[in-house]
Amino acid sequence: MRIVPFPAGPGADPDERWLAELEAALSGEAEGPTADGWRELRADVRAMAPAMDPAFHERLREELERRVVRPAWLRSRTALISGGLATALAVVVAVVLVTTPSRPGQSAQRGPAAARSTPASGRGAVESATSAPRAPFAAVGGEEGSPRAAAGTVSAAPGRVQQLAASITLSTTASGVQDAADGVARLAAADEGFVESSHVQIQQQGPSEAMLMLRVPSARLGAVLASIGRLAQVRAESQSLQDITDAYSAARQRLSDAEAERQALLRALAAATSEGQIASLRERLLQSRGTIAQAQSALHSISQRASTSEVEVSVLGDAPVRSEGLTLDRGLHDAGRVLVVAATVLLIAAAALAPLALVLLALAGLARAWRRRRREHALDAA
Amino acid sequence: MCPSDEQPPQVSSVWRGALDAQAFDALFRECAADVHGYVISLLGERSAAEDVTSLAFERLYRSRSRLDHRRGTPRAWLFAIARNAALDELRQRRRRPRGDLPQEISAGARSSEALDAVERRAAVGQALAALSPREREVVLLKFHGELSNAELARALGISESNAATRLHRALTRLREGAGRLQREEVA
Repeated sequence: MRIVPFPAGPGADPDERWLAELEAALSGEAEGPTADGWRELRADVRAMAPAMDPAFHERLREELERRVVRPAWLRSRTALISGGLATALAVVVAVVLVTTPSRPGQSAQRGPAAARSTPASGRGAVESATSAPRAPFAAVGGEEGSPRAAAGTVSAAPGRVQQLAASITLSTTASGVQDAADGVARLAAADEGFVESSHVQIQQQGPSEAMLMLRVPSARLGAVLASIGRLAQVRAESQSLQDITDAYSAARQRLSDAEAERQALLRALAAATSEGQIASLRERLLQSRGTIAQAQSALHSISQRASTSEVEVSVLGDAPVRSEGLTLDRGLHDAGRVLVVAATVLLIAAAALAPLALVLLALAGLARAWRRRRREHALDAA
Repeated sequence: MCPSDEQPPQVSSVWRGALDAQAFDALFRECAADVHGYVISLLGERSAAEDVTSLAFERLYRSRSRLDHRRGTPRAWLFAIARNAALDELRQRRRRPRGDLPQEISAGARSSEALDAVERRAAVGQALAALSPREREVVLLKFHGELSNAELARALGISESNAATRLHRALTRLREGAGRLQREEVA
C-alpha cells in the first residue's frame, strides 16, 4: 500500500485535514479503504443521475456549434457596444467642431463679403435732376481725379448735392486694437480729415475695442475707406447716401431772396426823403442783415454736410492670433482644439453619467443580492 | 465524464485564458454529461434538466468575456452558472426534486457484485434524499462538478471555511445514513 502524506500539516484545522484527505482520495492520489470509500461514494452518487439522452447531446452540440460559428463581430457584444460608443463620441465631437467658430481669420475673411452694404448711389435722383444748376460746394461723385475705394464706394450723381456716410468694422487681436485705432486717426489726418470723437477700451481680461467717428472730405471717402480696410480684417462695411439738393437749393434761394431784398431796401433808402421813411428803412435793413446772416449760415451748414462725410470706425479685438496657410503651428492648434473639445465632451458625459452609474451599480448589487436570496429560498423550499 | 469514442482535446490543454471556440468545444465534450447529471439530480426531471443544461452552456458562452482564469476554471464557472439556472428553474416552477430517480442498471448485471452495487446505490440514494436541500446540493456539486473547495465556495456564494464545513457535514451524514440503511437491509 502506498503511503500518501497529508497535504496539510499536523497542526492544521480538522476541517482542513479532512478536506485534504477527501481531495487526495477523489483525485486518486490517496489509496486505502478510506480513499476507496470516498471514490465509491462519488461513483454511486454520479451513477444515480440518469445518463444524458444521446439525441439531446447531439442536438445541443449542433446548436452550440451553430452559435459559435457566427461572425465574430456579431458574437462580441462588447465590441458592438464599444464601437457604438466610439461612433457616438465621434459624432458628438464632429458636431461640436462644426458648430463652433474655428480657426482665426475665417470669420473675419467672411465678414466683408457678407456684411458689405452699399447704397443705391442715388441714381434715381440723378435721373430726375440732371438739369439742376451745379452746386458751388457740392462734394459730388464723378468729379475728375476723385479717388475710389477698392470696393463698395458710393458713386455720387453729377449735379446733385449729396451727403455721404460710412461705417466700417475691423477685427484684430486684442493687442492690436490700439495700433489699429492710431492707424485710423493717422489715415484720417493724412486725407485732410479729422477725428470727431474716439473711445478706445483695452482690457487684459475681457473685450478690447475702439470706436472712432471721423469726418473726411467726401471726395476722399473712398480712399479713406480703402486705407482703413488695409489696417485689419474688415468684418463689416456699409455706406449711405442722402440727397440734399432740395435743402441746398432752398437755402441758397433764401439767401438770394434776402440779398435781393437788401438791395431793394438800399435803393429805397437812397430815394427816401422824410425822416420817418429813412428810420423805417434802416430798421428793415437791420432785420435784412440778420436774415442774410441766417441764410448764409444755413447754406454753409448744408454745404459742409455735402463736402465732408462722417465715417464710423469700430475696431474689435476679438480675433485670435492669425496664421496663414497650412502650418505646423496651425495643425498643432487644431489638434489641441480637437483634444480639448473631446476632453470636454468626455468630462461632461462623465459628470452626467457618474451619479447615474453609481445608482445603477447600487441597484445592480441589490438586485443581485435579492436574486441570490430568492435562489437560496427556492433551494430550501425544494 | 462525457461519453466519446474519439480522443478529444481536454479543456485544460486548449484553455489559454480565453474561451475561444476550440476551448468551448472541449469544455462541452468534457462537461456536458456532468452538468446534465448534476442538474437532473437537482431538478429530478429530464426535460427541465435538458433546458437548464442548454441554458448553462449558452450563458457561459455569452459571458465568456468576463471569464477570469484567476478566479477558477471554466468548468467551475460552468457549474456555477448551471446551479443558478437550476435554482431559477426551481423557483419559477415550484418544482420539488424527485427522490426516486430512476436507477439505470444494465440489464445483464446479475452477478453478486452488481447486486451489491444496486443495494449500495439504493441506500446512498435514500440517504441523499434524506439530506437537507442545501446539504444535498453541496454533495451533488462536489461529486458531479468535481470542484475544489475554493470553487465550491465561489459557486455557493459562501466562504471557503463555510463550504468546507457544509461539505464535511453533508458527506458525513450521507455516509452514515447510507451505512445505516445498508446494515438495516442486511439485518
